[in-house]
Amino acid sequence: MASVKGTLALCLLAACGDIQNFSGEVPPLATVVVQVDGTITDATSLRVALVWGEQWLPEPLCVLPASGSAAAVIAAGCRDPFGFVPQQVDANAAITPGTPESFELPTLPDASLLVGDLTARVGYASLVVYDDRDGDGTLKLARANRLSNPDGPGGSDDTDPMPMFRLRDTVYGASFVSMTQPDQRLAYREGAFVQSAFYPRAGCGDPPPAFSVLAAGGFSASDAIAATLAGMLPQEDPATCSQTAPPEDATIHIPVAAPADVAEVACTESTADSSVRYREPEAMSPDFTGRRTACVMVPTFGTDGSGSGSGTIELIVTGVVDGSDADSCAGLTHYILKGCRETPDCGVPDWDHSLAPPDWWPC
Amino acid sequence: VILRGVKLAVIAAVLAVATATARADDRLLTEQTFKVDPPGALVVDTGFIVGLPAALPTGLSTGIGAGIMHTCGCHLAYGALASWSSASASSETWTVTHDDLRLRATGAIRNDVGRGSLALRLGVGATLVHEDRVRNQGQRAGLSGMDLEQTATEMLPAADLEAVVGLRIFGAWAFQVAAGPTATYFDSHVRGGWTAELGVAWHP
Repeated sequence: MASVKGTLALCLLAACGDIQNFSGEVPPLATVVVQVDGTITDATSLRVALVWGEQWLPEPLCVLPASGSAAAVIAAGCRDPFGFVPQQVDANAAITPGTPESFELPTLPDASLLVGDLTARVGYASLVVYDDRDGDGTLKLARANRLSNPDGPGGSDDTDPMPMFRLRDTVYGASFVSMTQPDQRLAYREGAFVQSAFYPRAGCGDPPPAFSVLAAGGFSASDAIAATLAGMLPQEDPATCSQTAPPEDATIHIPVAAPADVAEVACTESTADSSVRYREPEAMSPDFTGRRTACVMVPTFGTDGSGSGSGTIELIVTGVVDGSDADSCAGLTHYILKGCRETPDCGVPDWDHSLAPPDWWPC
Repeated sequence: VILRGVKLAVIAAVLAVATATARADDRLLTEQTFKVDPPGALVVDTGFIVGLPAALPTGLSTGIGAGIMHTCGCHLAYGALASWSSASASSETWTVTHDDLRLRATGAIRNDVGRGSLALRLGVGATLVHEDRVRNQGQRAGLSGMDLEQTATEMLPAADLEAVVGLRIFGAWAFQVAAGPTATYFDSHVRGGWTAELGVAWHP
């Protein structure tokens, strides 16, 4: 009897659980449930990607009032100033429309994706459904096709057979497209929460700590401009808000949309602080085929917030917006006759063609 | 006369104490200082140990150990030892900590040479391994329970072969070093390793 007890004790001791070291199943840090609402007929490899957003400010020309031909060029060359701007594509998974799919997150967003300081920072992500046309298993972000760009056509780094200014994958929808539309977004919060202008949800509850799914109804562009002029954040309708944690308790719905209407959620930006990189006009005329141009005053934000011209004329050029080879992402190229790359008013200009402009200069 | 006698006695006493103190300061180390006792039949040792973890595939396990050994008046000895050591290592997803409790019955071939002693010690027994692994970034992500932390305990058969070198310093105390290979049966195969100990031994 004693030997049986001893054996039993030894077995119990040895069978408290198997040592696993680094192997075994890895619990995900979060699980989100995604459902694509709608029908997609021409996709061959439909996937959903988690895309973390960037804190981005549009350039002044894109938010100040314009008129005439300049307004048309600005409309074609500027992205939605309230739209979601991607910074980094994270997890990816295959998905079937109409079926809720669980989507596991193995990592946290790194610090560069969070806005705030160490005691209070937050990041927001949009779930983007796309057809993986290039078959690389992830959503490849694109950017605007600006002239005289090293990555652009004829540039020194133009060695990629698929240029970055054309989306390789086709985007069919996103849970967070613009602040002016209803959205569902994945949030990750560390520490306290401080309401800021980073994809604001003023009027809604604070995001819970760690991962959560947030929803808001959106605000109008006019309300946003009026609130900004008043030094406030635009208000959301509290009835449209929700905050759900853990995130698997909510289903994120992605409505199917026309690819042209949602392609911008896959368009990244090279600068995020509203600054402009000016270019020196070359002797030979750039290729303006398919692009639109206009001559405008270089804008500055006046003290009254309405904006005013600096007195310097610039030539703005859109990406390729006309024809079958239209670019996926909107963006403006800025030419000035005199100035520096960062500003026209740099004291000692890096170039000055004001006395002898190139023959093609239209302004 | 009495007073004079007392004064002389006091002076003589002071001089005697001063002389004795000066003599003691001059001879801090005497022939008795490092005199060692003859080796007894029992040896108790303890010290710091370091070695490869029994089951963790990487890292260095450090801790403390103690043992007892009885000599039988010949070149053979037997005894037991126990040690605890801990090691931590991380991967991209886990931080794993193993606490190893080594329990061994030992037998040794030993020989005393002057103040020193040499032994080849074979230990056979088991290592109780307690595993604690924490999902990296899990706390920041709000995980809890098994998703955040998992524990397991397993008893693993094991054996060690150590060379033991002792040097008696004074009285019944000796400085002792031991090191050698280890073998642990884990996950259906034998895993090799090594262990080393640096400590003191007492020969009552």
